[in-house]
Amino acid sequence: MGSTSSLSTLIEAAERGDLSAADALFSVLYSELHGIAKRELARQGVPVSLGATTLLHQAYIEMAEREGISFPDRARFMGYAARVMRGLIIDHARRRQAQKRGGQFELTSAETEFERAPIDRDLSRISEALDELAKTEPPLAELVDLKFFCGLTFAEIASLRDISERTVQRQWEKARIYLHRSVRTNLEI
Amino acid sequence: MSTLSPGQWQEISPYLDHALSLSEEERGVWLQSFRLEKPELAEVLQQLLEEHRVLADEHFLERMPIRVASGLSMLDQKIGAYSLISLIGQGGMGSVWLAERSDGRFERRVAVKFLRFAMTSGVGAERFKREGKILGQLTHPHIAELMDAGVTPNGEAYLVLEYVEGLPIDQYCDQQKLDVDARIRLFLDVVSAVAHAHANLIVHRDIKPSNVMVRSDGQVKLLDFGIAKLLAEDTNPAATLLTVEGRAAMTPQFAAPEQVTGESITTATDVYALGVVLYLLLTGQHPAGHRLHSAAELVKAVIESEPPHPSDATASAEAKELAEKRASTPEKLRRQLRGDLNTIVGKTLKKIPAERYGSATALADDLRRYLKHEPISARPDTLTYRAAKFARRNRTVVILTATAILLVIGSLSAGLYVANRERRIAERRFAEVRQLSNKFIALDNDIRGLPGSTQVRMRIVTDSLQYLNSLSRGAPIDQDLALEIAYAYVRVAHAQGDPTSPNLGQFADAEASLNNAARFVDPILAKDPQNQRALFITTTIAHDRINLADTRGDRVEELRDAREAASLVERFMSTRPVAVNDLYSMRYFYVNIAGAFYTGREFDKVIRYSQRALDIALPGSRANDLRGAILANLAAAQWQSGDFDGALKTARESIEFQQAEAAGGHASLRINLANAYDLEGMILGRQDAEPSLGRTREALADFQKALDIAEDLANKDSADYLGRHNIAVFGLEVGNILRHKDPKKAREVYEHSLARIREAKPNASTQRDEAELLAGSSYALRWLGRENDAKQFLDRALELLHAAQRYPADKVEPMSDTYDALRGQADDYAETGQTAKAVGAYQQLLDKIVAWGPDPRNDLRDATCISRTWTALADLLRRARRPEEAGRLEAQRTDLWNHWNGKLRNAQALLRQSLSQVASRKAFLGVSQH
Repeated sequence: MGSTSSLSTLIEAAERGDLSAADALFSVLYSELHGIAKRELARQGVPVSLGATTLLHQAYIEMAEREGISFPDRARFMGYAARVMRGLIIDHARRRQAQKRGGQFELTSAETEFERAPIDRDLSRISEALDELAKTEPPLAELVDLKFFCGLTFAEIASLRDISERTVQRQWEKARIYLHRSVRTNLEI
Repeated sequence: MSTLSPGQWQEISPYLDHALSLSEEERGVWLQSFRLEKPELAEVLQQLLEEHRVLADEHFLERMPIRVASGLSMLDQKIGAYSLISLIGQGGMGSVWLAERSDGRFERRVAVKFLRFAMTSGVGAERFKREGKILGQLTHPHIAELMDAGVTPNGEAYLVLEYVEGLPIDQYCDQQKLDVDARIRLFLDVVSAVAHAHANLIVHRDIKPSNVMVRSDGQVKLLDFGIAKLLAEDTNPAATLLTVEGRAAMTPQFAAPEQVTGESITTATDVYALGVVLYLLLTGQHPAGHRLHSAAELVKAVIESEPPHPSDATASAEAKELAEKRASTPEKLRRQLRGDLNTIVGKTLKKIPAERYGSATALADDLRRYLKHEPISARPDTLTYRAAKFARRNRTVVILTATAILLVIGSLSAGLYVANRERRIAERRFAEVRQLSNKFIALDNDIRGLPGSTQVRMRIVTDSLQYLNSLSRGAPIDQDLALEIAYAYVRVAHAQGDPTSPNLGQFADAEASLNNAARFVDPILAKDPQNQRALFITTTIAHDRINLADTRGDRVEELRDAREAASLVERFMSTRPVAVNDLYSMRYFYVNIAGAFYTGREFDKVIRYSQRALDIALPGSRANDLRGAILANLAAAQWQSGDFDGALKTARESIEFQQAEAAGGHASLRINLANAYDLEGMILGRQDAEPSLGRTREALADFQKALDIAEDLANKDSADYLGRHNIAVFGLEVGNILRHKDPKKAREVYEHSLARIREAKPNASTQRDEAELLAGSSYALRWLGRENDAKQFLDRALELLHAAQRYPADKVEPMSDTYDALRGQADDYAETGQTAKAVGAYQQLLDKIVAWGPDPRNDLRDATCISRTWTALADLLRRARRPEEAGRLEAQRTDLWNHWNGKLRNAQALLRQSLSQVASRKAFLGVSQH
């Protein structure tokens, strides 16, 4: 009933299906990730390019330091944070599209530029499809968050989950088929 | 391409896994054999695998989405004729963007307000549409204008609003160092904007400085009609739902009492909020002060506390700074505010809407009169008015009830509303209702000590429980919800009948609630013996059962519960870490466990558990919490062991601690203090009862103090049982002393106490209280010559004890209610010349006491009681000319006190006390016989 739940208790409660804890968890992580990005901006004085992966790792290190021994394991933290990142990125994409001139911090993928990025409304459809997927196959949904929205490599995800890289890739391919189905189908409707 | 249902997906998922794990070549072979096995599934699988190949070629989802190709941006879609520039703000409802006209025709900047994705359905969208509708009706130079509204091709609703670049009004005034008159002039513009809205039957409902912006050119703009209310729309069900949301969305610090309590919202609500803003502009302070920590405190401040006059509010540590920002000095500022401005602000902040200015215009008129040094229309409060206000405070109870019920009902109807809609929304509602219910349970804890809150607490907790319970039906409940429900039941039990704090006296119901709580918590504790929360609740239940057994007078059960509770407290203390509040609870439980052993005459255990209570270390400022109550138990044990001087010393120490604790006004702590006075009184000189120091005059003063506290608490809470019970207990002591000196005055005390206990809903405990008072009063009546009335009182007393299942009884505990009534009857026979009947009655009483199993050679109370009974009986036997029997009793008595003489140094004094009781009655008899 206490209001100042630690991250670990929030995660535990969320895993037991406590929706209000899940909400609280997301808002904590959201403000944490936001905070780091804003601070980077303030420090550099100019819009910075901060990779999602970097952001995530930094949040993990800072929060782990703060919360000490009660901090949950890295894999669980990443799972939740990745979901939050997805939300951040979708917001951000909308914002960036609308933005003509600076001021906002800039999230940039560490990877190369590409042309065929989904537009924002596809992004939100993907996000909805992921929510659906999370109900039946949570690890698949989380994987997409980590890979697509946070830019973690297969190797990183594999070590996070203690499974082989090949398995990660196979799961990824499967999730992608699922998402493609959902998104395309929805578009057709 | 067709959709895959979740069922289909689940069916195909393992095969897809397998197929993907194979190489291109292997896959073809496997798929062929699979086709023979499950042709339909293989068909779908093949489609999916082809899709997979295309997606891999396309690198679908392989790169992060962040660098979005600009060609597809929202910019090209335009928001009406505007393009977005940057994000201004983001909140729960959506985002607000700075935008500019993109066709170059006008150089005008606007604010575009988007509704967040998640809000695009239901109440959020409804609210959004209303804001558009409301603003569309308003055109005023001081209201931010609605320029356009629409929906983007993506389906996002938006409003285009006049963009106001500036500062919130309070910051603006401070920055510009505006003096009082300039502030009022600026404020008048806000009032005119509000008046315009009111003229269009629109109430803003969320007026606060951050919604009143001042541009750099000094123009004021009222913003954000997001939760505004159309007064004409009350019957619309959607609007009702919106009102619930609106209530949740309002800003509590600026809310009017009727907003907090859920009473009807009118234009007077905005007048109040304007008053708060004006107060803030003039004084730099919030009228409720800034030290509001909890929901209960805020509720209490808004609906109960009278704010200080603005002129008094400026006398703070920052007085000089505050005055400087108003181009003034502290002294000058105080003078400026005193008088008319105090009166005007006071009238806007009246608790009752009808007492405020009738309209924003009327407020504006008075402010203009002030600026022109003309007489204002508002009248200052007179002294009688202030006094009347004080009396009105009891209204809090009613209002709190209304709040709790409205909010909870609101949340439920909102819950039902969505029940038929998407499951996801229903789940969110589930979480909300649950959260709200738990919030109310916490609120109950906050206001528990607030005198006058019993009935409200009951409503709050039962409503909350009902909702938690409704959540538990239909769905399998998780452990946390089960614990929440269990705790809610415990809180319900407390309001129904926790004998240690104000309660409704519904002890049987409380018992049932505790059993219900146990039903939820027991399985959890059985599965997980270390679950701290479950253990806490179970310990609380065991503790509460002690008190309920005590109220029933069930000594056996009481001791069993006390032992159970003691072992649970120990078990709880072995868990780690224990929060400070829980430590306090454990100390508190030990106090009542010790108390139970005191009632059970096990004084060594009283000392043991009192020591354990003290061993629970509380940090710093709380180290002495409950120390007074612990000392009271120790004093009682000392007293009963015959150490009167030591007991008196400990009791006085206890009072000192408790006076400090009770100073805060917390009801339970004040009850503890009253009990401590009662204890000191009993040690000093309780009449006709246990041994004492015989200092009845001092004792009387103590009993009177205890009685005063009980009266005060009972007066503050018309529903509270405990206050009335305590009046009966303390009133009896006062009456018992007074009747020996002034039977008439004693009668008044007895009668008054009887009247107060009869205000409570009858239960076994009130019946016992009443019986004792009637028995005590019978002496006074008889000594006033009203022998028939005395007899009736005694008959009635026995009837009540019968109803409470205390009589008839084969066994009677010494000094108990039944003992008092039976002795009263025997004395009645004795004093009205019916010696033979009196002998019989006393003989029977003695037999019943002996049957109870007293321990007169070790227990001083039992010794005194039996000794007195012997004395009275011996006296009667002599009158009946049966001296031999009398002599035998007297010899037994001498033997008993000789035994005690070896144990106590004041045994002889006790014997004399025992004799003097009979002597004093004889003296009275002598008077009435003349």
